[in-house]
Amino acid sequence: MGEPAIISVRDVHKVFNGHTDRAVTALQDINLDIGPGEFVSLLGPSGCGKSTLLRVLADLTSPSQGEVTVNGKTPRAARADRDYGMVFQQAGLFDWRSVQRNVELPLQVAGAPKDQRRAKALEMLELVRLGEFAKHFPWQLSGGMQQRVAIARALSADPSILFMDEPLGALDEMNRERLQGELLRIWTDVRTTVVFVTHSISEAVFLSSRVVVMSARPGRIAASIDVDLPYPRVAETRTTPEFFAKVKEVRQVLHAAESEQAPA
Amino acid sequence: MSAATAPAPAATGRGARLLALLPARYRKQALPVAVTALLLLGSWQLAVAVFDIPSFVLPTPTTIVTAFFDDVGTIMAAFHVTVTAVLLGLLLGAVAGVAVSLLLSRFASVSAPVLSAAVLLNCAPIVALAPIFNNWFGVTNVMSKAGVAAVMVFFPVLVNTTRGLLQVTPLHLEIMESLAARPRQVAFGVRFPNALPYVFNALKLGSTLAVIGVIVSEYFGGPAQALGVYIASQAALPRFDYAWAGIFVSGALGLLMFGAVTLLERLLMPWHASLHEESD
Repeated sequence: MGEPAIISVRDVHKVFNGHTDRAVTALQDINLDIGPGEFVSLLGPSGCGKSTLLRVLADLTSPSQGEVTVNGKTPRAARADRDYGMVFQQAGLFDWRSVQRNVELPLQVAGAPKDQRRAKALEMLELVRLGEFAKHFPWQLSGGMQQRVAIARALSADPSILFMDEPLGALDEMNRERLQGELLRIWTDVRTTVVFVTHSISEAVFLSSRVVVMSARPGRIAASIDVDLPYPRVAETRTTPEFFAKVKEVRQVLHAAESEQAPA
Repeated sequence: MSAATAPAPAATGRGARLLALLPARYRKQALPVAVTALLLLGSWQLAVAVFDIPSFVLPTPTTIVTAFFDDVGTIMAAFHVTVTAVLLGLLLGAVAGVAVSLLLSRFASVSAPVLSAAVLLNCAPIVALAPIFNNWFGVTNVMSKAGVAAVMVFFPVLVNTTRGLLQVTPLHLEIMESLAARPRQVAFGVRFPNALPYVFNALKLGSTLAVIGVIVSEYFGGPAQALGVYIASQAALPRFDYAWAGIFVSGALGLLMFGAVTLLERLLMPWHASLHEESD
């Protein structure tokens, strides 16, 4: 792409238990560039290292080899500057904080003044359409609502990048599709770069501008597939022939990558 | 008593509001509790009369109540002295327990030796500690009683709080890490609130332990007016009905402390209390 990459991964390897005889190569020869404003899904079976790759980008673990830049800095510097927000599979809200105070957390850690925190949190809650639940406590919300609060929290400090590690994985199918639609609407609003980890083909295709297909043992990038379906994508998008065709294409690449890896 | 000096309507309003803080199931339990208490006291009264038990063995509830009102000034003054020592001891023990466990969670390497020392301290019997504290602070000094209570409160608070500080959801730590939070922010933003329910469990234990600690140490001498001193001297006279009145007031004190901690828990941790009601 013409624009400079906001995330760049060069020859990254990640080996767990590297100094023992139980060494596991989680990531091998990873090269990836992600441009500003892209919605990139990392798609693959469990054990393909997609979550590990995301954690490398977020500086929650470090690569054994290779170079990563995020916003032109090391991941550590990007984390310290709070360049990214992160959403995990579980909402991980703090039980002892109201919904609003949960959303304020990144701003509070960054030392923002109280008024500003409050205003921003309420704005973010409006964005995820939970404005009237600001004073509630997490236990009063459903799983889907809790995850929306987690998204609001991740976005409250205006990060330029959003990392999402299977954020909808714990939800039922109905909620999951509804939140996919919500997520696209939010993304259109805030225009951050999103790196989204999932093992659902249709989820990756519906959401992403690009799907990065990974294969397991060792975790490698098998293909990068542009999804040229126009935004905004809505519920009806899921029933179009173009959507089905893209799902089929991604599935074939995924399966081809799998059978390549299968032991002879 | 500050409640007695407040205007009556305000006091009842406050009382009603305090009652409303109790979960519905406690309010529903109030009647059975009252009935059970009446039945117990009634059969006690009856048994003493029917079996003609001498009053130095077991006085009737009515003689105990009569003794209480006969000596109410002395008993309530003693109550005041004892309650001061209990509150001070509870506070000291709780603060020390929480402070030490905060340090232990920060410096994990010293936690084993410090916990062993705490176990040792906890094994020391109150009857041994009481004369020592009397010697250190002086018999009439409130610290000699509060100190014993603090030692008894310290251990459960330390053990429970340490557990609460360490048993943090890994995801919460990871979220704080992704936010580049400083260790102090993790300690006060995650570990400490996570430990609060554990702290309150320990304080409930500690609130009754503190009462026992203070009253037992008062047996080894104390200010002229103190519940433990009162019970010991009345029993020696012997005026057992007065001693029993003192014992009942001590029991009521334990109950009161427990209730106060429970109330404080509900006020300070609304999220946690609501969880309880939800699980009904």
